[in-house]
Amino acid sequence: MSVKIGFLVNPIAGMGGRVGLKGTDDVLDEAVKLGAHPIARQKAEEMLQQFCTFPVNHADILWVTCDGDMGNNELETVGITNKQIIYAPSESTTSADDTKNACKKILETSPDLLLFCGGDGTARDIFTVLDKKIPLLGIPSGVKMHSGVFGITTTATAKMLLEFTNKRLTVGDAEIMDLDEALYRKGEWKVRLYGIAKGIIEPTYIQVGKSLFESVSDDEVKDELADHVKDELEKYTDWMFLFCTGGTIDHIAKKLNIEHTLLGIDAVYQKKLLAKDVNEEKILQLLKKYPKVKILLSPIGAQGFILGRGNLQLSPEVINKIGLENIIVVSTPSKLIHTPILRVDTGDKRLDHRFATQGYLMVVIGYRLSRVVRLQTNNF
Amino acid sequence: MTQITKRNANKFLKDEFDELVRNHLEWNIRILESGSKPHSIVNGKEVIMLCSNNYLNLSNHPRLIKGAIDAANKYGAGSGSVRGIAGTLKIHTEVEKRLAKFKRTESALIYQTGFAVNSGLIPQLVGEGDVVISDELNHGSIIDGVRLTKADRAIFKHRDMSDLERVLKDADKKYRRILIISDGVFSMDGDIAPMDKIVKLANEFGAMTYVDDAHGEGVIGEDGRGIGAHFHIEGKIDVEMGTFSKAFGVVGGLIAGSQDLVNFAYNKSRTWLLSGSHPPAVSGAQLAAIDVLETEPEHVKRLWDNTNYFKKELKSFGFNTGESETPITPVIVGDAGKAKELSNKLYDEGVFALPIVFPMVARDKARIRTMMNAGLTKKDLDFALDKFEKLGKQLSII
Repeated sequence: MSVKIGFLVNPIAGMGGRVGLKGTDDVLDEAVKLGAHPIARQKAEEMLQQFCTFPVNHADILWVTCDGDMGNNELETVGITNKQIIYAPSESTTSADDTKNACKKILETSPDLLLFCGGDGTARDIFTVLDKKIPLLGIPSGVKMHSGVFGITTTATAKMLLEFTNKRLTVGDAEIMDLDEALYRKGEWKVRLYGIAKGIIEPTYIQVGKSLFESVSDDEVKDELADHVKDELEKYTDWMFLFCTGGTIDHIAKKLNIEHTLLGIDAVYQKKLLAKDVNEEKILQLLKKYPKVKILLSPIGAQGFILGRGNLQLSPEVINKIGLENIIVVSTPSKLIHTPILRVDTGDKRLDHRFATQGYLMVVIGYRLSRVVRLQTNNF
Repeated sequence: MTQITKRNANKFLKDEFDELVRNHLEWNIRILESGSKPHSIVNGKEVIMLCSNNYLNLSNHPRLIKGAIDAANKYGAGSGSVRGIAGTLKIHTEVEKRLAKFKRTESALIYQTGFAVNSGLIPQLVGEGDVVISDELNHGSIIDGVRLTKADRAIFKHRDMSDLERVLKDADKKYRRILIISDGVFSMDGDIAPMDKIVKLANEFGAMTYVDDAHGEGVIGEDGRGIGAHFHIEGKIDVEMGTFSKAFGVVGGLIAGSQDLVNFAYNKSRTWLLSGSHPPAVSGAQLAAIDVLETEPEHVKRLWDNTNYFKKELKSFGFNTGESETPITPVIVGDAGKAKELSNKLYDEGVFALPIVFPMVARDKARIRTMMNAGLTKKDLDFALDKFEKLGKQLSII
């Protein structure tokens, strides 16, 4: 069966890293002055070379790409010839506009997947064009790769692409996250959740016969998680629940007919929305009236963060007041396959230490079903 | 009058079956014309049987066949009722007494099938406010039993005692009863659950232990007494569940444990209470199977001699046989297509062993699962090994 892959390289992605900048968004000139060299092409070629070592019928795969270092050169290097060039960048140094324009052109050809090489900034640019129209897969090459669309390494990305072309992977939610770079250059490190894209994920299987398994969609797994949360809401009737950011929690809230902010935190009491999109200050205010609180959150991004990337409203003060024992972590099993370690980085060393001492967290992965997952507090 | 369009009540039967066929997921039932023998006639072709659970070849043992005939002659063809009303024959209770002695436990109880034990007993042992802690690779019938309970469920990593301890620590704070369930021998890899360590941890936390020893019964432990004997902890596992359907060569499920367990189990398990009891011929054969195991140690010995030889030779050819510690020997070939091809070619050459592929095992761990049989001779094994070597080379597996 033939597959059409949109392929896009952001040639300048990752250049800021070696010269101590936290990205190349808006500061390319500075990066070049500091002696930065392009690395995206090399990363993309590494990944493609890996992919070409697999037994793949290349005649079945059509690559839709851009001229020069934005895709064509990389494909040439590894000897992929079944390709179509649909965009040429205007200048030798490409910009975010090139990424977006190329994306638009690629999208017009209706590919099955967009494979790109870059970092969080590139993912964000692509997301503004693509939204949830087609799934995204990222070859990690940026300075920051918090978004859930990246393979962990170039090899892992090549394997995921192989499984996708073999129709063994399915489509699910993947977070687009990025450092707020303007804030960062003022000295503040804040990683925000910018949206939920489509990524490719390992399906969840349930055994329905002796050797017969059915894959269940991510939405079905999330429905099960919603049933679990419903039981918890009914058990703790005089508790306030903080429904945190991300696609999993958003799905759960919607299933329970509770209005929810995809990119924010909402306070819920007795199955009803109490306060929408609350910030730290508002949470602290609510805590005075509702001292018993459960935090409902899900790992977001490629690195499995539950606290410290996104969910920034949950400040150390908030978490300390609510108590570690009142954090309920839910996750689809497919997400844990890619992020088998959960991470916290609250910004408060003493609080991080309390998590570190705990070492592990029970994570709800289905209706009344949980497993232990390792917890790390190292900073990224 | 408004005409109501009736739904087509039976359409889904065909639709869903057709869907399975389209996805190549339907069961292709193979017919054995010979009975389950070391050399069986499968779909009209004579093959060396490497995928039955008849490990000790007891299903063909003259004493079992005679036991079945004698019991049928004495008690008739059927039992007439469920055990609870008028279907408990003396021979049923004899089997239970002999089984408890064999298992070195206080008491034992026979169920209609192994599945009837797991789906009938587990939901009675735990309920709301309790937790079942389960190895992530447990067999489907355990999983179904657990699904029928209102208890919470937690999974620990396969045979990972540190992970089990972490789950226990968390569960200790939250729940009334804790039930730890594990397969004894895992049927995909042939590895064994560390029940000695599980029992030790369970005792620390006041948890109950339940082992599904379907593939260990008649195979591991002294004279095939199962996993309790294997670890020298007879009577210390709270529920030793097993089956007469595999190494014992008959059919039926069983539990062995305390008298309290048995009293509880037969009063509460709906599967036990609501299914007809075994026909006398089944019980007669079960009784004879225990006799044979107690008096003819050569069957278990031959099973292990065959297993060790087969494993050693496979390894010497360069096959990856995984972590197996039992007569279940996986021949791991990696790619699913290759595993299926190897299985088909083996059948053509006269060796019957089935492929196991994703999602039953990891994507890159597709395999042929072989199950040894005590009735196979060295000549048979050499024949099978020769085919494995030849085809392994042909398919570039070794």
